[in-house]
Amino acid sequence: MSLTPLTEDQRDALQEVLNIAMGQAGDSLARILDAFVELSVPRIRVVDVSHVADTVREMVGDRHEVTAVRQSFFDDLRGEALVIFGANGCKDLADLMGYAEELDQQSERELLLDVANVLVGAILNGITETLGTELSYSAPSIMAEKAQVETLINLDQLSWSHALLLEVNYSLENRDFKSHLLLLMAEEAIDALRGAIDQFMESI
Amino acid sequence: MATPITIVDDSAMSRKLMIRALPPEWDIEITQAANGKEALDAYHAGKADVMFLDLTMPVMDGYEVLETLKKEGLNTFVIVVSADIQPKAQERVMSLGAMAFIKKPVNTDEVSRILKEFGII
Repeated sequence: MSLTPLTEDQRDALQEVLNIAMGQAGDSLARILDAFVELSVPRIRVVDVSHVADTVREMVGDRHEVTAVRQSFFDDLRGEALVIFGANGCKDLADLMGYAEELDQQSERELLLDVANVLVGAILNGITETLGTELSYSAPSIMAEKAQVETLINLDQLSWSHALLLEVNYSLENRDFKSHLLLLMAEEAIDALRGAIDQFMESI
Repeated sequence: MATPITIVDDSAMSRKLMIRALPPEWDIEITQAANGKEALDAYHAGKADVMFLDLTMPVMDGYEVLETLKKEGLNTFVIVVSADIQPKAQERVMSLGAMAFIKKPVNTDEVSRILKEFGII
């Protein structure tokens, strides 16, 4: 199946929608952690499904071990949100949130799920508010623990031909903590998103 | 005489939204810049009595623009327009010499209110 690429205007508008959504999610994270969150310029890629794993690795960087949380979203736009944390991410988070003792595995998981849930919720809300779309999302679940980045995406599970990857990064000032938030959408969602963006552009 | 203003944002759509949010009665000459470097070029060319400045941009971000302007003896009225809405981001840009902070998405009434507050319009 062929896919019409995003026009320059659509890409620019999507970038700005993401920017605003990223800012709202960053603000939520800053409030939880009482720390200053450094934001990046969001990245947008449309890739053939065979390149998804490579692109994710390129976006996240060649970090040794990561822990990832996934959350599906559906209704007007359908896709997967992935929040990828570096191996030390949890320690920094626990520290900032004032946990005195070392966390056991269960509490560590809960902490990562909570943080991922806040980020994903805020970013999806930011997108839906700007574009006027409706989304529901599932509860977050741990997708991989201390795994290699390239093992995160299992091609056999994807029945897609193309994927849209949206990426934003959050890091904390003076800390090791870094997390990547990826939104992955398949071709139908790309078309739906394109429609929503066009409507949004016409409205302004 | 028309007031020279520069709108700095890496997104063309965002610049367009900003231009639309400006009060129609304001007599201005608009220059657009897609990153901090272009913003400083416009400023040095005397095209930025008022600057609407985004923070997150490639090449040179808004913080760097403010730092440079401060070093050079800030001779422009900078209004930061940002999607980064953390209170700390706001504190930071104000300490770097920005006069006001507008949250994205921009709102026409908010822009007019700030321009009036500072006696610009």
